[in-house]
Amino acid sequence: MPAYRAPLDDIRFVLHDVLGTEQLRALPGYEEVTPDLVDTVLDGMAQVCEEVLFPLNQVGDQVGSTVADGVVTTPPGFKEAYATFCEAGFPGLSCDPAYGGQGLPLTLRAVLDEMVCSTNLSFGMFPGLTYGAYEALHAYGSDELKDAYLAKLVSGEWAGTMCLTEPHAGTDLGIITTKAVPAGDGAYHVTGSKIFITAGEHDLTPNIVHLVLAKLPDAPPGTKGISLLLVPKYLPTEDGRPGTRNGVTCVGVEHKMGIKASPTCQLQFDNAKGWLVGEPHKGLRAMFIMMNGARLNVGMQGLGLSVTSYQNALQYAKDRLQMRALKGAARPDQPADPIIVHPDVRRGLMTMKSFNEGARALAYHVGMEMDVILHHPDPARRQEAEDLVALLTPVVKAFFTDVGFESANIGLQTYGGHGYIREYGMEQYVRDSRIAQIYEGTNGVQAMDLVGRKLPAEMGRLLRRFFQPTHELIERESQGDLKDLAEALGQGFRRLQQGTQLILAKGMRDPNEAGAAASEYLRIFGLVAVGAMWLRMARVAQDKLAAGAGPKEAFYRSKVVTAKFWMTRILPQAHGLMASIAAGGETIMALEPDAF
Amino acid sequence: MAIAPSRVAVIGAGVMGAGIAAHLANAGCTVLLLDALPDAAASAIARLSAARPSPFVTKAVAGRVTSGTVAADLAGVADCDWIIEAIVEDLAAKRALYAQLEPLRRPDAIVSSNTSTIPLAHLVEGRSAAFRRHFAVTHFFNPPRWMRLLELVAGPDTAPEVADTLAAFGDVRLGKGVVRCHDTPGFIANRVGTFWMQVAVQETITLGLTVEDADAVFGKPMGVPATGVFGLLDLVGLDLMPRVAASFARTLPADDRYRRTAQPLPVLERLVADGFTGRKGKGGFYRVTRRPDGARQTEAVDLATGAVRPSAPSTLPGAKARGVAALVAGRDAGGELARRVLRQVLAYAFEVADEIADDLASVDTAMRLGFNWAKGPFELADAIGVATVAEWIRDAGEPVPSRLEAAVRAGSCYRTAGGRREQLGRDGTWQAVSRPGGVETLGDVALASRPLEKNGSAALWDLGGGVLGVEFTAKMNALDGDVMAMLHRAAARAGRGDGPFKAIVLHNEGKHFSVGANLGLLLYAINLAAWRDIEKLMIAGQQAYAALRYAPVPVVGVVQGLALGGGFEALLHCDAVVAHLEASMGLVETGVGLVPGWGGCARMLIRHAEGGDPADPMPAVIRTMEQVGRAETAANAADARDKGFLTARDVIVMNPDRLLDEARRTALALVPGYRPPRPPVLRLPGAAVLPAIEAGVQGLVAAGQATAYDAVVAAALARVLTGGDTTPDRTVREADLLALEREAFLRLVREPRTRERIEHMLATGQPLRN
Repeated sequence: MPAYRAPLDDIRFVLHDVLGTEQLRALPGYEEVTPDLVDTVLDGMAQVCEEVLFPLNQVGDQVGSTVADGVVTTPPGFKEAYATFCEAGFPGLSCDPAYGGQGLPLTLRAVLDEMVCSTNLSFGMFPGLTYGAYEALHAYGSDELKDAYLAKLVSGEWAGTMCLTEPHAGTDLGIITTKAVPAGDGAYHVTGSKIFITAGEHDLTPNIVHLVLAKLPDAPPGTKGISLLLVPKYLPTEDGRPGTRNGVTCVGVEHKMGIKASPTCQLQFDNAKGWLVGEPHKGLRAMFIMMNGARLNVGMQGLGLSVTSYQNALQYAKDRLQMRALKGAARPDQPADPIIVHPDVRRGLMTMKSFNEGARALAYHVGMEMDVILHHPDPARRQEAEDLVALLTPVVKAFFTDVGFESANIGLQTYGGHGYIREYGMEQYVRDSRIAQIYEGTNGVQAMDLVGRKLPAEMGRLLRRFFQPTHELIERESQGDLKDLAEALGQGFRRLQQGTQLILAKGMRDPNEAGAAASEYLRIFGLVAVGAMWLRMARVAQDKLAAGAGPKEAFYRSKVVTAKFWMTRILPQAHGLMASIAAGGETIMALEPDAF
Repeated sequence: MAIAPSRVAVIGAGVMGAGIAAHLANAGCTVLLLDALPDAAASAIARLSAARPSPFVTKAVAGRVTSGTVAADLAGVADCDWIIEAIVEDLAAKRALYAQLEPLRRPDAIVSSNTSTIPLAHLVEGRSAAFRRHFAVTHFFNPPRWMRLLELVAGPDTAPEVADTLAAFGDVRLGKGVVRCHDTPGFIANRVGTFWMQVAVQETITLGLTVEDADAVFGKPMGVPATGVFGLLDLVGLDLMPRVAASFARTLPADDRYRRTAQPLPVLERLVADGFTGRKGKGGFYRVTRRPDGARQTEAVDLATGAVRPSAPSTLPGAKARGVAALVAGRDAGGELARRVLRQVLAYAFEVADEIADDLASVDTAMRLGFNWAKGPFELADAIGVATVAEWIRDAGEPVPSRLEAAVRAGSCYRTAGGRREQLGRDGTWQAVSRPGGVETLGDVALASRPLEKNGSAALWDLGGGVLGVEFTAKMNALDGDVMAMLHRAAARAGRGDGPFKAIVLHNEGKHFSVGANLGLLLYAINLAAWRDIEKLMIAGQQAYAALRYAPVPVVGVVQGLALGGGFEALLHCDAVVAHLEASMGLVETGVGLVPGWGGCARMLIRHAEGGDPADPMPAVIRTMEQVGRAETAANAADARDKGFLTARDVIVMNPDRLLDEARRTALALVPGYRPPRPPVLRLPGAAVLPAIEAGVQGLVAAGQATAYDAVVAAALARVLTGGDTTPDRTVREADLLALEREAFLRLVREPRTRERIEHMLATGQPLRN
């Protein structure tokens, strides 16, 4: 049976020592966020995730959510777990206190996301979608809608969904056919079919609030003609209880490779009553609020599953006795050595560890910038943060989920044959993590977003928010005790600069060239961005060691070694990726479709 | 007579006469400008001198024009080689003037009329045989300095050498594209162009489209011309249309398509009656007005009601069509408008081509140069497909013109054969498109050969005669690493001049020679903190330009349009520059918070120091400091020569179609015994004079003429130009100056205020005064 322990030491190191919780506390509205408060919240999250969510992960996978006559039943224990989760106030952790939220930093929500994804990804989908609905409604909903629904979503009493995809319209939302016709009383009648609706129907909450993309009768064609409507499963009564059943039914649940406890529903809307969220035809804008947050959240799924896979692989590598170390027996008292003595097993473990810790630091850094967007008094600083988050969103989503999947796979490999056996739990992480590379915009779409939108945006201003500070970081560390690390990061950074310039120069002439380079480029970006966090972490660790770390010495030494591992064993992938980019798109585009 | 005119009389100091006089002065002629009204000629000269831009290339040129009145000074024509009549379009008045000129003019003097409507045959009635032999119509287009068309009409009695002299002078000395026209009403350009305007306005109204719709359709996708039809009417004057219509009604036969088609345009007539005659009046179809809050807004006339409303860009899909073929294939109202107008205009062009012109190419040239069409009518027909055009005409129930039928049989109006462009002749055979000797373009070279090498931003061509051409090919010919690499390749190919190439010519046929370094890429490099790449590009540029400067073969730069910043720096490294008169150039780097970094500071300084006292470098330092510090540009090649941006070695060419030929000849003339220049050595004042220069700059800041950041940039520039840490007793090499340029550039490029200037320039095209 797999195990999970929230990596609180590392989480605290990143929050308190590397990023600085005091930065959060300096933001208006976060005056109460002391390090002690943060630690208390972290302990609470860890407890619920370790003791309530994780034990349900395997049963959720084995039983799955099931549908009968339009009613979806979640796996045993989910209802109770959800109640505990809500009692802890987690659905509204970072939500607006005006609607009953705790008003805590988004940085802490990022931590919660990580732990939930580590312990029970399927379960996390329910509150995750609810939070997305909260964000869109909070940003664009009318006061009436906000008053009627927000408090319910914040408390978790009601759940939310995002209804985008239709059978013929996935990535291309401009061609959806779901219609919303004015009902005469300010409301609309929504009719159409939606598929792949996560948590579209379930038994965790007495009501579900669907946010649905649809077209009004006078809609212009394409994405400029999409509107967002709120369609509740039950129309609320005057006193806010679920009333009349609305015209939305679950007509099926998909059979999936993973995240089986999360019901992926086909919903049929049949003259369902709904209300416009935001302006007519501007639904995509509201949807993007949800989608950007969701993309970062999906990135955390890649990280979260990698963390659990790593923890179990590590334990297994220490326990499993098999063969002898290459340089002679390490444990002569035992019939064989633990497999952790083998360089190749360690290579896998270090790969996972260096990704997990580096990606965690980057994710929380992005989380903190999101807090800056929300609360910083200086508009210029807010703009900087907004630029950086916009730039890094596709990187976090795609890089974290690609590497997260690879990492879960390494974890399985560490177990040898047992990794392939269901009861050990390792294959579930591989299956569960696979979807994260696909939904919320496939990783190919993320790469196109990065090179096609984020690179040229504002004549490169978004890029400046990442590249100039990273350049300064490397220059700052280029003398002194970390100069080898800075040098290695500098080489990867050079590749990223060259790749960016190449794509900008070539892509301006031929968009296919930019498209052909996009995925490799995004991966270089991820390698360097995580590398920059590693250099920052190594600096802190080195300073702590110099000041006398006491009992935490091993922790800091491990940080410096892992930083070096990333820089010298992982980051150099950037050179090969850059060579691919430099080769251009000619061979990619040369063959006629029939010649494949 | 075969001697080119050097003294010219222009009679009639209206818009055309005065403009022609000014341009003759630009061409180096001594001009006598006469008008019937007292003071009219003198005030015209004063008006043109004060205009911005002035029709005179420099202030001094205006001194070549003497003013007078017909009554008092007509005898002065006796000294003139050429007498141009540009008086009112009144046959009797013109004839009376010619009668006066007959006894005064020198026997070999040429007389020509600038009439746009009156046939030559009518003008010379009653004149002597000698007068008729020396008479022609020379029809300029407004404004004469800038509009490139010159229509030349020779009568049956005009001596061939008179017509040839005028053609050659108009071409070489005035820089015109001379098109020989038959003696028919409106000659070529106005005959076709006026019909087009009439039809375009009529059909726009019929289809219920807006002026913005029409201009968007005619403008970008069709390019006839970029302003569209209503924009053009505003420019040339709305009152022109009714006048020309009246004239054509008198002179054209009743069955001419123009007379069959043209209908009164009440909306236009009412605008004219109310004084809205276009930009020269209170505005025309478009008006720029101020809102109550003081902001400028553009308004447009509603064609249906005549009322004025805020201008709004066209939403027709056709406005975004790429090219005319895509436009006419469109099923929207824009495509419909284009098809209707082009069907009639192209039918008319095919109907009248042989009546008005020697060949099809003459008509196309006249429309391109006289009406700024991107393509002439027969080139448009080829772009659409002649069969398609014929089908439109047939579908409209009209007879297909025989000239078009012939084109349908041949497949097109033009073809490329044997590396040459050919046109369909009257007899249905293919004939070479003939042009005067020396008129040659890179386009011709490209028809007959392929580039020797090319990359993303530049190409190398064998220009013939042992001349290697370097063509810039990027958007606006912005310079980047690819260009620098290609310059190195050119130097390598030329080698020591003992291979196939004896000289190098930098030449392209973009609108601009080069707008300088690619600022967009530079801004990205800044945002990426790619300081090493910026430094590498600086070194690459300095080395590439040095490779040109010290190549064992002569290097000639050819400039048209703009040569700014790095583009001008390239020219500063050439042995000679062949400049189109209208070329504008300067080192403008300080405008974006930088200093010239590809040797521009060094070369300007060396140039201004040439011929000066080597012991006193300060005048050259100050002159360079002022010019570069203020980002001064020369408005044209003559101005550039005054500013020292061009030297006596450099050649000014009036006709852009002759640049290539002139450049090749200039380059080959330098070949015999060519030795690369020796690197110059200077003495410069060093840091001791910096406080004085900085005090001067601070004075400008205090007076509000410079900003605080201008002072920072100026200080960096001053350090370069004074030679850094040198002293007057030591020598400074060019390489030392280049190192100083790099140092200053790389320091400034990291400044946020420089970045803001670059962003602003890219976003607005204007310098930011921060």
